Parts: sequence; C-alpha cells; structure tokens
Amino acid sequence: MLTQREIISTLEMLRNENLDVRTVTLGINLLDCAGSELGQVRRRVAERLMRLAGQLVPVCDRVGQKYGIPVVNKRIAVSPIAAVGAALAPPELVELARTLDAAAREVNVDFIGGFSALVEKGMARGDRALIAAIPEALAATERVCASVNVASTRAGINMDAVLMMGTTIKRAAELSADRDGAACTKLCVFANIPEDIPFMAGAYLGIGEADAVINVGVSGPGVVKKAIDRALASQPGLDLGGLSELIKKTAYRVTRIGELIGREVAEHLGIPFGVVDLSLAPTPHVGDSVGEIFQSLGLLAIGVPGTTAALALLNDAVKKGGAFASSRVGGLSGAFIPVSEDLNISEAARQGHLCIEKLEAITSVCSVGLDMVAIPGDTSADTISAVIADEMAIGVINSKTTAARLIPVPGKKPGDHAVFGGLMGESVIMPVNNACGDNRFIRRGGLIPAPIHSLKN
Amino acid sequence: MNKAILSILGRDRPGIVAAVSRVLFDQNCNVENVSQTMLQTEFAGIFIVSLPNGMASEDLHRELHARLSPIGLTVLTKPCDHGVDACAAATCEPFVITTRGPDRKGLVAHISGVIARHGVNITNLQAMFKGGDDPGDNIMIYEVDVPQAVDLQTLAQDLRDKATDLQLDISIQHRQIFEVLHRI
Repeated sequence: MLTQREIISTLEMLRNENLDVRTVTLGINLLDCAGSELGQVRRRVAERLMRLAGQLVPVCDRVGQKYGIPVVNKRIAVSPIAAVGAALAPPELVELARTLDAAAREVNVDFIGGFSALVEKGMARGDRALIAAIPEALAATERVCASVNVASTRAGINMDAVLMMGTTIKRAAELSADRDGAACTKLCVFANIPEDIPFMAGAYLGIGEADAVINVGVSGPGVVKKAIDRALASQPGLDLGGLSELIKKTAYRVTRIGELIGREVAEHLGIPFGVVDLSLAPTPHVGDSVGEIFQSLGLLAIGVPGTTAALALLNDAVKKGGAFASSRVGGLSGAFIPVSEDLNISEAARQGHLCIEKLEAITSVCSVGLDMVAIPGDTSADTISAVIADEMAIGVINSKTTAARLIPVPGKKPGDHAVFGGLMGESVIMPVNNACGDNRFIRRGGLIPAPIHSLKN
Repeated sequence: MNKAILSILGRDRPGIVAAVSRVLFDQNCNVENVSQTMLQTEFAGIFIVSLPNGMASEDLHRELHARLSPIGLTVLTKPCDHGVDACAAATCEPFVITTRGPDRKGLVAHISGVIARHGVNITNLQAMFKGGDDPGDNIMIYEVDVPQAVDLQTLAQDLRDKATDLQLDISIQHRQIFEVLHRI
C-alpha cells in the first residue's frame, strides 16, 4: 500500500515543480547508408529514419501518459554525417541536411542531431566538407543540429579546426541574421564529446554504439529548487552538507523516473536502452531554471562570488544521487547553464552579475560551459576561435567535456537583446572583454599536444 | 478448516486489539490476517481467523459479542467465503487515481461509479475531506487494478470527464511511478 505522503509528494513534483523527462533521444546508426551518390544516400537515410523513428513520438506519449510523466521532447541522434557523407561535397551535404530535417518533421521530433564531425586529431576530406556545409545546412533547416569535436584529453586541441569553427560560426550567424543568428543555437563545439548525449545540440550516435539505442535526458531544476526551498523553510539553519544530501535524494528520484520511462519506451520500440543523462537542464519557463537554484542556495544571482563553489556542490550531488539510482548513466551528466535558455541566468547576465569570464570559470565544474551565449555581431572570427580554444583547454586538461555554443548576433552590440524563440529563449548580448588587437596565437594553427596525466596541478 | 471474518468497530482507545485477540485465543482460533485503521476518532479492524473443528462462526460471534459489547465495541462476524479473487482471473495492471478539489456530496459515489462501470477493482481507498475549497484539504486516492482487457484511454477519458463535472483535478498513473520515486 502506498502512503498518502508518497502520492501527494509525487503529484506536487509533477504539478508545481516541472518534473518531467526532458528528452527521449533515439540514436540511429546511418553508417551503412554511406555512398558517393547523393540520391541514393538520401533515400537510404530517409528510409532508415522513417522505419526506426516512425513510432517514437506516439510510444513516448503513450508511456508518458501511463505514468503521468510528460516526455517533453523526442529527438533523434544519428551517426556523424561527416562519416556517412564522407564522399559528398559541401552542397550535397546541405541537401542531406534537408533530408534529415524533412524526416524529423515527418516523425514529429523537434530536433535531429548528428550533423557532426570528430576532428580532435586531424581532419579528413569528409570532415572538411561537413564543416564547410554547416552554416548553410543550419540556416536552411529548422531541426538539424550540428556539433564538431575539436579536442580531447587523449589527442589535444586541433587548433586548425578551432580556427575554422570561428569562421563557421560567423557565417552561420550571417546566414540567419534575420533571426538574430539563430542558426548558431544549433551548433556546439566540443572537447571530449560523449558518444551518447541525448541533449541537443550535441547529440549524435557514437561510432562505438549499436544499430539503434534509446538514451534519456532527465532534468528537474524546478524539483531541486523547490526541495531546497522546502527544506530551508522548515530548517533555516541547514548547512551545505545537509543541502547536498537533499539534492542527492532529489536527483535519485528524477533519475529513477527517467530510467523507468526510457526502458519502457525502448522495450516498446524493440530497441536497446542506453543511458540516462543526469543533467539539470533549464527551459525558458518560470520555475524551470538552474539559475534559481543558486538563489535558493543563498547567492544574490548566478555569477556573483561563490557561484563556482555552489555549482560544484550542486553538480556533484546530482551525480551522486543519479549514479545511485541507475547503473546506466552517461551522456553529459552535469548541470547546464545555457544563458538564453534560462530566464534567471539571462536576467543575471542582463544585470551584469554574470560575465563570459565567470561562465568560463564555472565550466570547470559544470556540464558544458559557454552555452547559448549571445555576443556582439562584430566579434571577429579570431576572437570566437580564441574563446573556443580557452574553453577546450579547460576540458582537455581536466579530462572533462566542455563545449561552446556562441551566437554572434548580427548587428547587435553589448546590452542589446536577442530573441531566438522557443526553447532557445532570449538573452542580452554579453560583451567579450579585451578582444582587441591582433590574435596571432590563434592563427598559428597546429595541434596543442595532449596533456601529461601525472603531475596533476 | 472453517474460517470466519470479523469486523470490529468502536471509538479508538488503547487495548482494543488486545481485547479482541484475547477472546480469539481463549476460543482456540488462529488469526490469519488482520488489518486495522483509524478514521478520525474511530477504530475499525478486520480479522480473518481459522476456527477450531466443530466451531461455527455464529458460536464465535456470540462469544465476541458477549465480551466486547460491554467495552463499547460492535462486532460483525460471518463465515469466510473462499470465492475467487475479483481480479485474480484476469491479468491486471495497478494504477493510482488521485483527485483533488472542493468538497461536495457524492464525490466518492461519482468517481467510484465510473471505476466500477469499467469493471476495475478498487484495492485501496484513502479519502480525506476537510471541507472548504482548498484542493489540498480534499483528496481521494484510489488504488485500482485495471484488467488488461479494459481500454485505459477510455477509462481515463471517462474519469477526466467526470472530474471536470465535479470540478476535481484528477490524475491517473501507473502505480510503479510512486514506487520508483520513493522506494529503493
């Protein structure tokens, strides 16, 4: 028999705290769809996506309804298109992106990730073609997401690729200037990209994965915030050890739900279950914010001194709770701090509490880093590359994933406002400080070698 | 072996279970199952007992009545029927139906009526009505077994329609979600 307390607290989490499964992402291997004739590749890819993903949305909705837990987003991640379309030219890859977009629309998923290349050590012909195709592919499609892994702890940082990404981001922004550079919101540059991220824009199906797999992204910043608020209301003197314990228990619950839903969806679709990604991911809705957690913990806003320590506590507690709840944990599993996607973080940036330098600092303890950061449209490609390089270095040296999703908003200056729409949200344009003069370092190219694994300091 | 089922009602106070079980022990009966609950100030207990050879449930009732009525307890006794469990024949899925909303007469009758019409068995019901319009003060929690043959979508829609008529907020969820959330 269930207790009344168990039932009522569950309903509270669902109704008032935005408890949900943020995404069920179906990974689909497209490597055997590769070919040198565009028409044939497009046909194979479309057929594969329709066959495997046709039932994804109805099944997720049915399972969500059974448990009363909404599966907010259903998505697809495919093998890196740089490998699938290795024999194709950039304009042909743009056409392949259109095929992905059309299939995503057909099966009613909101994003399809995997327009990706892995170039941390070097670039093959297909990788170069894909990176060249990214601006137009993202501007011409609605749902296609791209990612490029330019660095890893084992390979180092491919600075030629970093340099190319600065130019690529600028071009993508120009091609979507009428939408505040929104094409860049679908492009992530990574160090140490995991092969099983269910969250966008970084989701792709790794080379080491099976034919198809279901990965789940759980979230629940609202649940964590409310749990902290409730605990502090009843025990105002609760210390940080106590709060960490509380966050752990909350993360445990959220993870258990994600795994339950993910496994059932996978079973219905006849596809193996992969991992639960334990990330606190906000949306631009009140009560669904990571930024608000900082305030509940006692900080004025995200960005003020104490932010890095608070995020370290939060992120670690989420991982501990989640790891206890599930033995299939993967993806990014950390807290996201996407500026424009979180009303509270966006407001902290507007008020000047949060700057790019602080975001870079907290990258050391969070999931990705410079995520959904709107910067002035006249920021040079070199500066964008340099900011990316800094971000990659944190990931490479600390053996963790880091990423940059920067949007140089055409025609806008620091303090202006950019609107990307929907889940991508809106944000003040954040200044990129000290970006003056020639940056010869970034133009030298080559590989920053992989770091030594002893002598840690 | 004969069995009897007893229901004991009375104002709650220390010693009720002891008094009942002492009579059963003295009569050489064996308690197989017991469940008790309290609603506001009232005690309610149900006992299933096996009777010694030659004893009928009426004999036990006479003894229980004689010894428990002087201390304010009402006893109902009847032979225990070994009928088939209503849900045992069919494969069932456990769901939890929860409603919250302003108190009014007939809420249990209306909601349980819909549940019954679909052939769904209520396995546990907790309801609390403190009156007034605060939804948190007026809650019904039905644990039900839904046979696989029952169309869940139609049941859910009928329940939602009825809840709308009654101004109730309703949720229908598989029981597993509560276990997964709260139990290791």
